[in-house]
Amino acid sequence: MLLAAFGYIPAIDQYALSLDGFTQLLAWPGLSQSVVLTLFVSVASTLLSALCCFAILQSCWHSRWWKQIETLLAPIMALPHVAFAVGFAFLFTPSGFIARLLGEQINWQLVHDQYGLGLIAALTLKEIPFLLFMSIPLLKQLNINTTLITAQSLGYNNAQAWQKIILPQWLPKIRFSLFAVMAYSISVVDVALIIGPTQPPTLSVLVWQWLNDADLATLPKASAGALLLLLLCLLVLLGIRLTEWIMTVKCRTWQSSGRFSLPIGGKSIITITYLITLTTLPMLLLWSVAQRWRFPDITPSTWSLRFWQQEWYYLLDIITNSIMIALVSATIALFFAIVIHEHSIKASLNKGKFKVPRLLISIPMLAPQLSLLFGMQVATLYIAHQHYYLWVTWAHTFFVFPYVFLALDGPWRSYDQRLDKVGASLGMSPFKVWWQIKRPLLLPAIWIAWAVGISVSLAQYLPTLMLGAGRISTLTTEAVALSSGQDRRISAIYALLQSITPFVFYIIAIVASRKTGSLEQQRANSASLTSTNRVTTHNVSISK
Amino acid sequence: MSLSVNNLSILDSAQQPLFAPITFTVSPGEILTLMGPSGCGKSSLLSAVAGHKSADFSYQGECYYQQRLLNALPAEKRNIGILFQDDLLFPHLNIWENLAIALPNHIKKAQRKIQALKTLTELNLVELADKSPMQISGGQRARISMMRLLLAEPAVVLLDEPFSKLDKSLRSEFRNWVFSQTRSRQLPVLMVTHDVDDVPVGSKCLHWPWNKETLDA
Repeated sequence: MLLAAFGYIPAIDQYALSLDGFTQLLAWPGLSQSVVLTLFVSVASTLLSALCCFAILQSCWHSRWWKQIETLLAPIMALPHVAFAVGFAFLFTPSGFIARLLGEQINWQLVHDQYGLGLIAALTLKEIPFLLFMSIPLLKQLNINTTLITAQSLGYNNAQAWQKIILPQWLPKIRFSLFAVMAYSISVVDVALIIGPTQPPTLSVLVWQWLNDADLATLPKASAGALLLLLLCLLVLLGIRLTEWIMTVKCRTWQSSGRFSLPIGGKSIITITYLITLTTLPMLLLWSVAQRWRFPDITPSTWSLRFWQQEWYYLLDIITNSIMIALVSATIALFFAIVIHEHSIKASLNKGKFKVPRLLISIPMLAPQLSLLFGMQVATLYIAHQHYYLWVTWAHTFFVFPYVFLALDGPWRSYDQRLDKVGASLGMSPFKVWWQIKRPLLLPAIWIAWAVGISVSLAQYLPTLMLGAGRISTLTTEAVALSSGQDRRISAIYALLQSITPFVFYIIAIVASRKTGSLEQQRANSASLTSTNRVTTHNVSISK
Repeated sequence: MSLSVNNLSILDSAQQPLFAPITFTVSPGEILTLMGPSGCGKSSLLSAVAGHKSADFSYQGECYYQQRLLNALPAEKRNIGILFQDDLLFPHLNIWENLAIALPNHIKKAQRKIQALKTLTELNLVELADKSPMQISGGQRARISMMRLLLAEPAVVLLDEPFSKLDKSLRSEFRNWVFSQTRSRQLPVLMVTHDVDDVPVGSKCLHWPWNKETLDA
């Protein structure tokens, strides 16, 4: 964490020293348009996904469909953003699958459209399941059922009770997740490259293009842009907080103003979300084995595995590469996360000790990746920039860490501290207590956290390219690079593999976690599938 | 203005009745108590009358308010207020807002706060108006909860062991206050409890297994 903070300083440094980077940035003709677009995309997608999420909760919570909705959340969230974006593009381009179904070219442009509507739609669809998932534990805490009964006995119907009584309680609790969604949508590069607007693109893509410019003179402009992005991010996060404050503190008369509600239909939203997300995978699979697929045929006319065979040799290399980086960075992050959790337990018992603040840990999740990476990149230049693998792994570890940390948070909290005391009273050394009592009990959570870390690392796009200086390719970087190419079939292969690899590690982790832990839990696991299902859902969510 | 229950029985998840079908009528201003041990289905019976669905039980029989069949009405349309042993004040609202939320829709905007504060003044609790539910005592919470129920202008009041969580010293005072409120409003009251002390003097009471009626003196 210290290194990160250190790595971040040179970026500001550079900005402060050269004001002409800033003037260049302001002089760039499309800037204001791009900034407006960026704000529009991030605010619209965050608001829409929050709204849709609430509508779904209101109409489906504990209904007949809720169980199915909850079970499907896990696989839907495990789908990486990049693979989803590629599949989304296959569906919605003017000659995409939807157009094939209709039998004619569609006129409206949703992929690379000028206003970023396609990007908004894709981000919203991808974030709804995440917000839904994060809401489940919150709603359990809120005792929705007794609240609903009380509200009904006061004459409130279901919709009125949700909007008047549950919404103001849900909003402050979902805040952090909304922050994460907002920060992601304002700084996203990979998805924006695949389906976002191009002239001008969103600010993050713009900065990314300047950074890649062969002309070094654009570097000051890029760094000023990265700083602007950071400021915008802070601005919109404050905006969310302000909106929440206005709704729950400043203007709260609406909450007690009587039995009124807005009609919002959650059932259709959840159906559309799941339908589109679940169609992307078959879409990718279909394209990857198609040889001839003329418009407007519904299915390919010739099938072939030729592209798989053709790419296989090269693919193997990339897969190994991706997995190696993921394994190393996830393991290091896991180690640090455990150390810090143990440290904060000790610190909470001992007042004199330094506590690691939560906010510092969540910085990699909330600040724009581009701005952070820019600082890291400059830092590597000072030291030894030629060790690409080292830096890429380091950057991955940095971004993987908060997710692993959060995945371990719940289990570490629920561990019964008295077991440690019992161990010590039996004459075991602190390390022996940890190794022989705490570690075996928490091993299932450790396995899952490890898989979360791997899946986060596998999905990283910017860290790989920026610190690897383009010399290191992973499935994600290739999937993004090829998505703009001509051949949909090859693009489909990479996107498909990108979404399958994390699944493989999740399955390994689930199997491993079922064989470990307390005997009680092992028995419960072998008895019922649902509990493991729940464990996975929990962790997949964090891997967004 | 009376509540009638006709041949009502609660069925568990295996469709087995928990007790023999029960029939009774509660007139305005009257209090009917159902006594029974825990698990006998008395809370489920109140839920059935109030219209709250549950996955764990179903019911047979009919509920009427006057001559109107309630069975098909959703809970919020039945105009039945229910008081539980927990006060269930909304934790994100302060005390006056908890009262204002229950006021009928025709009272608008600023009037809602004025009404809520007026109610608090009548209860001699006006200094609690801006406090949160967690900041006030259990006895005060119970009063606010009952008052919130009454502000929604229910036609019938159901009491689900409403006094069991209160201190012994508070219990009889709060009990008398609740019954004086419902009697002065001429509301039919149906109460379930397992504590004989809860039954008001001179009111009707059905003892488990509810087949014989006794007048409590």
